[in-house]
Amino acid sequence: MTDTAIEAAGLGRQFGRRGKWALFDCTFQLPAGSVCAIAGPNGAGKSTLLALVAGLLVPTEGEVTVFGTNPGAARERLAFVAQDKPLYPQLTIAETLRLGHELNPGRWNAAVAEPIVAGGGLDPHARIRNLSGGQRTRVALALALGKRPELLLLDEPMADLDPLARHQLMGVLMADAAENGTTVVMSSHVVAELEDACDHLLLMGGGRVRLAGPLDDLLAAHVLVTGRAGDLGPHTVVESRTTGRQLTALIRPNGPLDAEWQTSEPTLEELVIAHLRSPAAPELTLTGETGTDADTDTDSDSDSDDTHTDETDADAEEAAK
Amino acid sequence: MTALPASPATGRPVPGPRGLTWTVLRLHRTALIVWGAFVALMIAVLVWNEVGTADAALRELDGCLRHSPCTIHAVIIYNERIGLVGTAVCYSFLAVAAFSGGALFGRELEYGTVRLAWTQSVTPGRWLAAKLAVPALALAVGGTALVLAFRWAWSAHPELLDSDWTSDHVFVARGPAMVAYSLCALAVGAVTALALRRTLPALGVSVAVMALVNQVMEYYRQEDLVKYWTPHLAETGILLALAATAALAAFALLHGRTD
Repeated sequence: MTDTAIEAAGLGRQFGRRGKWALFDCTFQLPAGSVCAIAGPNGAGKSTLLALVAGLLVPTEGEVTVFGTNPGAARERLAFVAQDKPLYPQLTIAETLRLGHELNPGRWNAAVAEPIVAGGGLDPHARIRNLSGGQRTRVALALALGKRPELLLLDEPMADLDPLARHQLMGVLMADAAENGTTVVMSSHVVAELEDACDHLLLMGGGRVRLAGPLDDLLAAHVLVTGRAGDLGPHTVVESRTTGRQLTALIRPNGPLDAEWQTSEPTLEELVIAHLRSPAAPELTLTGETGTDADTDTDSDSDSDDTHTDETDADAEEAAK
Repeated sequence: MTALPASPATGRPVPGPRGLTWTVLRLHRTALIVWGAFVALMIAVLVWNEVGTADAALRELDGCLRHSPCTIHAVIIYNERIGLVGTAVCYSFLAVAAFSGGALFGRELEYGTVRLAWTQSVTPGRWLAAKLAVPALALAVGGTALVLAFRWAWSAHPELLDSDWTSDHVFVARGPAMVAYSLCALAVGAVTALALRRTLPALGVSVAVMALVNQVMEYYRQEDLVKYWTPHLAETGILLALAATAALAAFALLHGRTD
């Protein structure tokens, strides 16, 4: 039994009194020490969720706790790097790090922050306003890590970086997190950059949680099947495509599969893309503590969605014949 | 990195302001320098006017008693300088409103640097308190110096003056209402920026609100000008109450927005 870093229950946020719900009915748990990827298309609610966890937004409904308290009370223990990497343009890099020192008394560790800046060959006396997007990302990450956070929230952290800097900073980030047991949550719409680094996945779409849980368990709960077009029977079909007589489908098996199907475990990218292509696919939340790969669909709504999806897929198969 | 204040290795802190005070002073260093330069310039002009030019103006007036026609060029310039400084000191609150709604609060909210500040180890409430208190102290100190200098200059040679204390700029610049206008402008800028979250609209609305407040005050002031201190202190009190209301509203807006 590990401590819980983030727990969201029925979390929702509406912008404006009659505005759009950027996030709704969001429920998940993230154990402390995990490295979690938030994946999803633009507008899925990733940034809204991160801002709620960082205490920068108040939920419209539901609640979110960080280390068992409300996010505002956990402010000292978390660091947040927003998508546009806000920094004060009139400060130099050295002054920006001094700001981290002044605003985090007793926590700040310059020996962590300074090498990150130096690793990019940046002049400490350069002004933030004269830096490129990637250089600003580096300074923003140095500021976040210098705080020695127990929870690090990163919104699209690598988007502005060239491949070399991305590789180097991701390495620094992961080594630091592993050494200190930091919980890391990072969003991205580039799935490939998350696969090696993360052990948990939160897939979002249309303001909802689509998949949540330990990455290995989520992958193991799905099977990529190929074969002659036929009945997938009791299984939950996430997505299926027919090319000629060949059917390829991503399913959540309910019971043994017929021997005629060729099966393989999907990659993270296949898992994510299949769910993004099928917005009606039922949600799946796995908790690592069950220790099994059992499909623990969270509520009866999901089950009725199952039926619906199966029917839709059956219809599509009919049409294809 | 030598610019850092206290490396864990030496552990010796650099003297000077720390924490949020350091942050606010550093972020708005330019504005602080401009304000300090304005205060120094206004006082320098007043001192020069009295020490460097008043004697020549007095000689002119003296000459006019004996000769006719006479020239009063130096007297006119003497009065123009005092009038110019009085007007600048009196209406400096409009610049304060523009700074507060724009650079101090509006820009942070529009460009999202508040998300940086609010995810350090300080609460948004303490952030707002520091962003109000540090400029308020600078405005109070500088404003007091300006008022004292103006009072001295205005009473040094009453025989040279062609305007009396009922002029709007003289009325404000001779007492604590001048400081109260600045503090009110500071708080109005904060609440406007927190409500609008955009730099230019917050700047424009803050200036417009303060200009309106001033117009209303000037209108009612004219009805009651037999004594100086009673209406002046009443106006000061109203402005300080407005400032407190705006500051409380800013805290309330902030509280509803963040966790």
